[in-house]
Amino acid sequence: MTDHRLSTSARLTQRRLDRRSVLSLGLGFGALLTLSACTPHDSGSLAEGEPVRGGVLTYFEPQTWTLLYPPSVGFYPNGGIMNNISARLLWQDPKTLELHPWLATDLPETDADATTYTFTIREGVTYSDGSPLTPENVAKNFDLFGRGDEARTLPVSEQISNYERSEVLDAHRVRFHFSAPSPGFAQATSTMNAGLLADSTLDLDAEGFGPGGATQIHTCGPFHITDETIGTKLSVRAREDYDWAPPHLKHQGRAHLDGIDYLTNNEYSVRIGAVLSGQADGVRDVQAPDESRVTEQGLRLYAKATNGINNSINFRFRHDLLGDIDVRRALIAAIDRQEIVDKLFTPNYPLATGLLAKGAMGYTDQSGSWDFDPDKANRLLDQAGWSERNGQGYRVKDGTPLALTVNIALPQPRSNEVQTLIQQQLRRVGVRLSINPGDQSKQTLDALELDTVQIYHSMVARADFDNLRSNYSSVNRDVFLNGVDRADADDDSVDPKIDELLETLASEPNHEKRQEAAEAVQNYLVDQAYVLPFFEEPQVFAFRRRVHGFTTEPVGRPDFYSTWLAGEK
Amino acid sequence: MILDTRYLLLRLGQAVLVLLLAFTAAFILLSLIPGDGVTARFADPALGLSDDQIAEIRAATAADDSWFGKYLTSLTGFLTGDFGYSVQTGAAVSTIIAAALPSTAVLAASGFVTALILAVAIAVAATFGPATGPTAKVRRVLDSVPSLFISIPVFWLGILLIQVFSFQLGLVSVVDPGPAEALVLPTLTVAVPLSAPIAQVLIRSITEVQASGFVKVTTAKGASELWILVHTVARNAVLPGLTIIGLVFGELVAGAVVTETVFGRNGIGLITAQAVTHRDNPILLAVVVIATFGYVIINLAVDLLYPVIDVRLRTKRSSASAGRALRSHDEPSRRALTATAASVGVDLDWDDEAKEKDS
Repeated sequence: MTDHRLSTSARLTQRRLDRRSVLSLGLGFGALLTLSACTPHDSGSLAEGEPVRGGVLTYFEPQTWTLLYPPSVGFYPNGGIMNNISARLLWQDPKTLELHPWLATDLPETDADATTYTFTIREGVTYSDGSPLTPENVAKNFDLFGRGDEARTLPVSEQISNYERSEVLDAHRVRFHFSAPSPGFAQATSTMNAGLLADSTLDLDAEGFGPGGATQIHTCGPFHITDETIGTKLSVRAREDYDWAPPHLKHQGRAHLDGIDYLTNNEYSVRIGAVLSGQADGVRDVQAPDESRVTEQGLRLYAKATNGINNSINFRFRHDLLGDIDVRRALIAAIDRQEIVDKLFTPNYPLATGLLAKGAMGYTDQSGSWDFDPDKANRLLDQAGWSERNGQGYRVKDGTPLALTVNIALPQPRSNEVQTLIQQQLRRVGVRLSINPGDQSKQTLDALELDTVQIYHSMVARADFDNLRSNYSSVNRDVFLNGVDRADADDDSVDPKIDELLETLASEPNHEKRQEAAEAVQNYLVDQAYVLPFFEEPQVFAFRRRVHGFTTEPVGRPDFYSTWLAGEK
Repeated sequence: MILDTRYLLLRLGQAVLVLLLAFTAAFILLSLIPGDGVTARFADPALGLSDDQIAEIRAATAADDSWFGKYLTSLTGFLTGDFGYSVQTGAAVSTIIAAALPSTAVLAASGFVTALILAVAIAVAATFGPATGPTAKVRRVLDSVPSLFISIPVFWLGILLIQVFSFQLGLVSVVDPGPAEALVLPTLTVAVPLSAPIAQVLIRSITEVQASGFVKVTTAKGASELWILVHTVARNAVLPGLTIIGLVFGELVAGAVVTETVFGRNGIGLITAQAVTHRDNPILLAVVVIATFGYVIINLAVDLLYPVIDVRLRTKRSSASAGRALRSHDEPSRRALTATAASVGVDLDWDDEAKEKDS
């Protein structure tokens, strides 16, 4: 996974700076970062051997966790914790994406139209507060996740659709009823967003799930929360009595590690420096330009696929300027995706070959749909009536310049750089792209306005067909702002076909037919030139060599259950 | 008695008024920003909530009340110690602040004391010794140290210190350091820029006092330079220093925002930075009030200290106008302060009485 593509000149610059690093104290920020390149090389053994028990792993996150309410743990720092402290009814294999039993003794029984699911609950499982896992408790969990509770500002889970009610059948079995087919439910029970909570925890409100209350969150995973320093540190420790790992796993019983300390620091140079200098064991979110520096120091880099919708831009076709398919096709032809990947990223960020990543459920190969062809772009724009140019060289029609705005997807890697490059590429064909400035809140708010943001940059990870629905449906994330009931809706501009196709996908219980429905959705979106995907977005981690057995769950969140530490720091 | 009760009550009343005005101004400004925290958090498409669900949450959190209603609610809340709930996490603001305040207080105190020591050391070294010969060069260099210190960006200094002392030399750990270990580098980061204006004022006022008539007389009587510095100059030069200390408190808060972010210290500064990102108005409002409270208290203490230090300000008549008296009586310190205030971007508005005297 080493990056061998860093240009020669960049390497030379780096070497020169290395030698001069002591003198570089006054040179500025860039030189500062290279200073840490002279920390000692990590020379720990890479031999796998037998796992050793013990040790606390220290791990850096860029942001502190915000909410440990399972349906809200999509935010990376939240998910990195919840995935390790919670256990779920089912377990999804991160490689094959197949479902296996975990806290349920078997896969659920379901009826033909996928409106009921019956789970048999494993015996002998306890929460970290000592309370037992029972069908009543499981029912209570999904009643909250499936319906939410606005009074406690606890939202419904995005992944559970059409939830109606639960029914406890006997001492071992619980059944869930749905008002319409919900074929994604089985997979939803395997995600960290359905991590089961003890009864006492389920009574908490949003405040209780927030910072300051972490130690009262009781779960039944291999680790449990023991200590919290608000804003900077969260400690989890192994549960000695944990004996209910997914039967599918070779490793059973207690976790190898004694625990994990999740540390938070906003400052990237400090996080990466702490791992390079050996003060910490691992760090999430290594940026593409630093990958080579990390591997040169002997550290191990893990780029884990998030198996979802690819990092893409979505053209909001309901805006006047983007209503013409030729304009959208022209924009796609004007953007050089290969240049983006080559200039800004590494081989850990593979060029997208479809709307979905190759490992995602429902993947359809659509490579060849987005060829870079500036001549074609110019021709299409001329044909569409955008042949005039203004003083700055931008295309104009009836006095209106062809000017669009894109948001910065702050959680996505190098979003600002990606958009800056696209800005240059579009300028060459006379299209003006503005990049919407501002913090996370401003991006969120502005992206809800068609007049403010017409091109929406995003990605979403979930290892199920329903991922497509989450992203494109007008009742979920609605990346196109395609909902008829929106305040600014002009019904003529809505494309009802997208929701129709997604509805078919969401209500189809048969696996093969779901694959077909997923392909239909993707083909339609590509034919209409609504989306341009860039690359398959990974989660990139770096760990010291003494850290062994690191894995992730299906969408790239860390899974430390089988991780072990060899030797001293 | 050094202070009379009427003066004390007047100053306390002023302090309360300033707090109320700061609260109101912050509340209005935060209400003016388009979009509120509820929208910022729950309208995030990643949550996939429908418009109806968001409307229900808005109703549950009273986000749609009139601004005046919200103003009254939060004002009464503040008076009873209830700062509301963080929009971003749902945690009580008082819990978050209570967790952050001690860490910031410790950092501010240690940073402040270190800054004082640094400032006094620089000022004394820059003004002590003969003004000619080789020491003159050293004095000139030291004289420019405050300007250098104030131009160092805080985040840069913080990162530099971590890189050198933690990652290169391994002297301090940034991962799980002990309480004292965790304080060393952040303290330095805060102290260096903070020491600059104080040192500047001290240097100026020491120089001015040294040039004044009574020092020349004392020198003529045969006192050594050190004796004069300790017994005559120091006492006269300390008042303007005290005034600038009251003024740099704001810088202490600003320095904490950056320092805590770089060092990952959970403090008022760090939660401020995060609250700004997430438009977490309840937290920002609480931070503004707490920072104002600190500022008011420090400046109140400074004002009350004037008459303690300077006997001339202890007359019954003038204690109510202690600051004014000081300013009109103490020409050197006044000039030094104005110069420094200008160099750090503070506009000091001397009262009319003083202006008349000047002209």
